Amino acid sequence: MSSSDRIDGVFATRMNQQTYKAKVKGAEKGYELLKKKADALKARFRALLKEIRDAKMALAEEMPAAFLGLASAMYLNEKFRDNVAYEVKDASVRVFASEDNVAGVRLPVFQENFIESQGDRFGLTQGGQTIEQAKKKFQSLILKLVKLASLQTSFVTLDEALKVTNRRVNALEFVVIPRMTATVKYIAKELDEMEREEFFRLKKVVAMSDDGPPPEDVDTKEAETALPGFDESNEDDVIF
Amino acid sequence: MPGKTLLLSQRPGGLATFNIQDGFNEALLRGLQLGFLSDADYRSILQCENLADVKLNLQETDYGAYVGDVAQISPSIVREKALEKLVNEFNLLRANANQPLSQFLEFIRYDYMIDNVMLILKATLNNPNVDVASLIKQTHPLGQFEESVFNSICAFENSPKGYAELYQSVLIDTPIGPYFARFLQEESAKVSQDASYVQNLLEELPTTKLESSLRKLYLEDFLEFCQGLGGDTATIMTDVIKARADATAINITLNSFGTMLNDPNLRESERKPLYPSMGFLYPEGTDKLSQVGDEMELAAVLRTYQVYRGIFDKHQRGDKTIDDAFYEREVQLNEMAWEGQFHYAAYYSYVRLKEQEIRNLVWICECIVQRQKDRASDHFVPVFSREASYRKR
Repeated sequence: MSSSDRIDGVFATRMNQQTYKAKVKGAEKGYELLKKKADALKARFRALLKEIRDAKMALAEEMPAAFLGLASAMYLNEKFRDNVAYEVKDASVRVFASEDNVAGVRLPVFQENFIESQGDRFGLTQGGQTIEQAKKKFQSLILKLVKLASLQTSFVTLDEALKVTNRRVNALEFVVIPRMTATVKYIAKELDEMEREEFFRLKKVVAMSDDGPPPEDVDTKEAETALPGFDESNEDDVIF
Repeated sequence: MPGKTLLLSQRPGGLATFNIQDGFNEALLRGLQLGFLSDADYRSILQCENLADVKLNLQETDYGAYVGDVAQISPSIVREKALEKLVNEFNLLRANANQPLSQFLEFIRYDYMIDNVMLILKATLNNPNVDVASLIKQTHPLGQFEESVFNSICAFENSPKGYAELYQSVLIDTPIGPYFARFLQEESAKVSQDASYVQNLLEELPTTKLESSLRKLYLEDFLEFCQGLGGDTATIMTDVIKARADATAINITLNSFGTMLNDPNLRESERKPLYPSMGFLYPEGTDKLSQVGDEMELAAVLRTYQVYRGIFDKHQRGDKTIDDAFYEREVQLNEMAWEGQFHYAAYYSYVRLKEQEIRNLVWICECIVQRQKDRASDHFVPVFSREASYRKR
């Protein structure tokens, strides 16, 4: 089934012609706009990809240092990890979800909120400075992680939106608009033919009114008044 | 020498009489000394690329029996098994000990009991429904109480009545009960209020104050006991405990910079009481330390104490962290305890040196797992090694 088949069941009326012409126009305008949207999304997609790559590289550098810092702190004070787990009450990094709007697509974005912790230092009698350093490294690490998570969720949503938009663009370009234009063509063709028929009928009527009705055929008149069933020419056909 | 005057029969013997009571036990100890990992062992472990290789290497050492049948290996499992070995060896020594060696060994355990009680208190204060079984797994095995004691501590309510009950029924029966008693007495004497206020003190006090006070009281008690034992035990243990107290004081001072404790108004009232009242720095050194506000002033105070000046220099130059430098010093002091015979200090030093070895092992394993073997020498103090830095002259 070629996508240029016209739509079935459309009557070839002038009103329909108007309707479908408007539809073609609408579809083409929509196609332009959608294409622009797809381009905007694509550009943002590429930018996001680059940002994600940079963020991951930065993370790859920081993570080993942070975890080694933790191992160092554990070496110097084996109890501090349990102490942290049991003494800390509030999170110092909080994440808020908000929205970013790109060409009409709402992307989820995470915003980090960092509150410097007010509590006592850990490892006062042993390992305090190394613990502080490890703490700072992990603070910076978690902020980067939140940023990366935000970028990745935006990426996934944007990917979906881009796919949908591209599908719609293609559908418009290869299915809807051809069909609409074929329909419009068909209607125009039918209307033309109807007009020509009308014109021809008109000519015939005008010719009739000028020349009078055409001469009647006598044979046909007699054939009409004869009774049915008594047609001698048909007698051979009746077989029981 | 100050300290309780023990009867002759209650003290360890001297050159001629030590072996009567404690000879067999000391022989056990000296045998266990051979179980320390050697330089060659550390070198071969450092060459491993993953923990499976480390496990193979460890099977050649004394740790073989403990690490051999482990399915999954990780740094924390290495620590767990190494601690298990230490506890088994300690229990062997403890089981074969007569008085007063058995009391001495118990004193070593009090240190870890304080750790465990503080852990459980903090956990329960933060979350009344904490899982007791998992909490017990996190306690240090050398400081074990009966499980019922742990359960009762977890079950106490976070209310004035609950604290009173906890203290009077549970903690007071533990060997560290007297330290709690003295702590509460001192606190209530400061405020001089009636008994019910005393019971609310535990609730309002930050746990750092409680922990440092318990530790101080324990060290003072231990020092008094050792000095009562007399002889080489008293000499060596005095040095060791004093060095530990000094390290605590210097660390508290250094780590308080940038926090509330360094506030000039609070130094006398909040920071100074945390210093132990013993040590080579006590009392003039700690007096000066309590007034210190930054690293320059700290360096100035330590200039007159040669050993600590050396340690602080290493910290300021950035060669090592101050904690690493203190670990080195501790290992050096503890190794010297083995030079002589017929005293108990070697037992204390055995536990501390074994702990250092476990730390070394876990750190190397972490470096291997995180693929940063080149950083392994950051935190490494070899025990009984010919290549130790202080042996090179």
